[in-house]
Amino acid sequence: MRTLEIEIRNPSGIHLRPAGTFVKGAAAYRSAITLENVTRGGRAVNAKDALAVLSHGKAARGDTVRIVAEGEDEEAAIAGLQALIESGLGETLE
Amino acid sequence: MTATLRLAGVGAAPGIAIAPAWRYEEGGSAAAADGVAAAGRPAAPDPAGSVRAAAETAARELEALADRVRATGRDEEAGIFDGQALLAISPTLVDDAVERVEMGAPPPDAVAAAADAAAEVLAALDDELLAARAADVRDVGARIARILRGEELRLPAASAIAVADDLPPSVTAEIPAGLLRGIVLQGGSRTAHAVILARSLGIPAIVGTSGILAALDAAGRAAGGGDVDLAVDGDTGEVVLAPDAAERAAFAARDAALARRRARAAAARGRPGATADGQRVLLVANIGTPDDAPRALEAGAEGVGLFRTEFLFMQRQAPPTEDEQVAAYRRVFEAFGPERPVVVRLADIGGDKGIPYLRLPAEANPFLGVRAIRLAYGDPELLRTQLRAIWRAGGLAGVVPHVMAPMVATLDDVALLESLRDDARAAVVAAGQPCADAMVTGIMVEVPAAAFLAPELARRVAFFSIGTNDLTQYVMAADRGNATLGHLQDALHPAVLRAVAGVVAGADAAGIPVAVCGELAGDPAGALVLVGLGVDELSADAGSLDEVRVALAAVSGEELAELARGALAAPDAAAVRAAAGVLLARAAAGPEEAGPAA
Repeated sequence: MRTLEIEIRNPSGIHLRPAGTFVKGAAAYRSAITLENVTRGGRAVNAKDALAVLSHGKAARGDTVRIVAEGEDEEAAIAGLQALIESGLGETLE
Repeated sequence: MTATLRLAGVGAAPGIAIAPAWRYEEGGSAAAADGVAAAGRPAAPDPAGSVRAAAETAARELEALADRVRATGRDEEAGIFDGQALLAISPTLVDDAVERVEMGAPPPDAVAAAADAAAEVLAALDDELLAARAADVRDVGARIARILRGEELRLPAASAIAVADDLPPSVTAEIPAGLLRGIVLQGGSRTAHAVILARSLGIPAIVGTSGILAALDAAGRAAGGGDVDLAVDGDTGEVVLAPDAAERAAFAARDAALARRRARAAAARGRPGATADGQRVLLVANIGTPDDAPRALEAGAEGVGLFRTEFLFMQRQAPPTEDEQVAAYRRVFEAFGPERPVVVRLADIGGDKGIPYLRLPAEANPFLGVRAIRLAYGDPELLRTQLRAIWRAGGLAGVVPHVMAPMVATLDDVALLESLRDDARAAVVAAGQPCADAMVTGIMVEVPAAAFLAPELARRVAFFSIGTNDLTQYVMAADRGNATLGHLQDALHPAVLRAVAGVVAGADAAGIPVAVCGELAGDPAGALVLVGLGVDELSADAGSLDEVRVALAAVSGEELAELARGALAAPDAAAVRAAAGVLLARAAAGPEEAGPAA
């Protein structure tokens, strides 16, 4: 099992289109992956489930999220998702 | 022969169309198809597996649809279908549907019910944007259910006007472009997805057409199941069922006139604003959020004359952060680039607009109270933060921001603005953040005191922008919202025009430009009078720029100056409008068509 805690820097957080980019990115790995908003509390949701991430995985700018991956490609999944979030999930960061 | 019937809706996208109606029904022929399945087709051996397979198929269809839409350059719409493809395979949706199937529900019903449940969860979230996605979830559910029933989406085979209660995005996007001639909705709103699509395709859309579905069904029965023609006007909201020869001719004539107007506007779009004899008039756009920027650029805006920033401050419990503001301003600066100036108006809030976090006391006369620049005497931080964000956004985008303060009345107000601006710059530089090289600072002229002080104010600022809406309200002492004072609310009243003339004279003496950013600037009659008075720049909603550009190009600077001289001496606003109307009629007829009819 691998864990990553990372701050969201997108202007409107993980929301709509950035959420879609994140889910699509997570779906590319075979590992089971969950997303949890550490700043706001709440439950860990399936990172590959668009509806779950939209309704329960919402994160505002400045929130810290925890991503947990478990499976054969867990290391690649964590590295890949970290790079995806740092690159702005398809949005331009300052 | 079916009798002609006329219905009234709300025009939502302009244009004229005459074509057979094509009726779209939610769930289509669901009942009939289920009957066929029950009678003729054996139940699938693995209903749960069939749900998962149908969801995968739907996701692939939606990805392909997104690619097709993207290939036509409609990126924003393509994003909707990318999102829908992800929703189609969402375990929340699919697992719920499978569970319902295992409880004995027919697979299509199970998917529809699961989609409804998921949509309700989204709709209940306290988030307008997410709530709007509820419609996407239902649309996806309908698609998977249709695949499970083995149905194709029924689409028009020839040119048609789509008629529905509401049209889901995936249906409108599947209709081959070129076949869709218009959209008539019984429900819907001016912001419905189908309306946005209609505008981008340049076809008419009419919403809120009560009675259209029942009338169409009745007309279809009367026609023995044959086609029923419709004639629609997306400007007026008229829908005519089974139009007779006279109606057809009338709509065709309107269509031809509209096509001429559009062709002339499109031809003029690339050209900068100017009169027939080449007097330059900068035509710029008013925008309310960064999302308005693409539409303004498409309309040929030569910049932004009024970027309202209130959207950042309203409907929230705490003021926006500096970073959030930097991101919003930067988006607009980058969209317009260094060649097309963007004028940011500092927050025009307070008084009548309830901003909870400002904790302002209620006022008896909010329009004469503590708002806009006046707030900064007691609480300078709000505007100072905004100015810091503008300095930073300008630095990041590599542009020189233009800024103007609303409600300026005195030279003290200008001194306050200058000190806030300089403090903000010093703070940005001290923090080592990127900072614009300069800032062009102007003021709104909307308070009569500022109009009287124009010569003195003009020596202190780089430009004036006249807000004719508020200036009219204050000059005429007539509340904008009071419907019984209509005769005192027309900005073309000579009293208001004399104030404008005074402002222009003061600006000319100091050599600074004058813009007008009120509604008068986007009204072709108003635009002619304002340019005649010596206004250099007109800022209006993107949708008004075409008409203003065409009107200006048809008249000479000397004709406009004469119009303005007459306007200043006219007895009332109606007389000014009549005089401007004579010049406008010539612009409408077009130079090549001016003849006995004009």
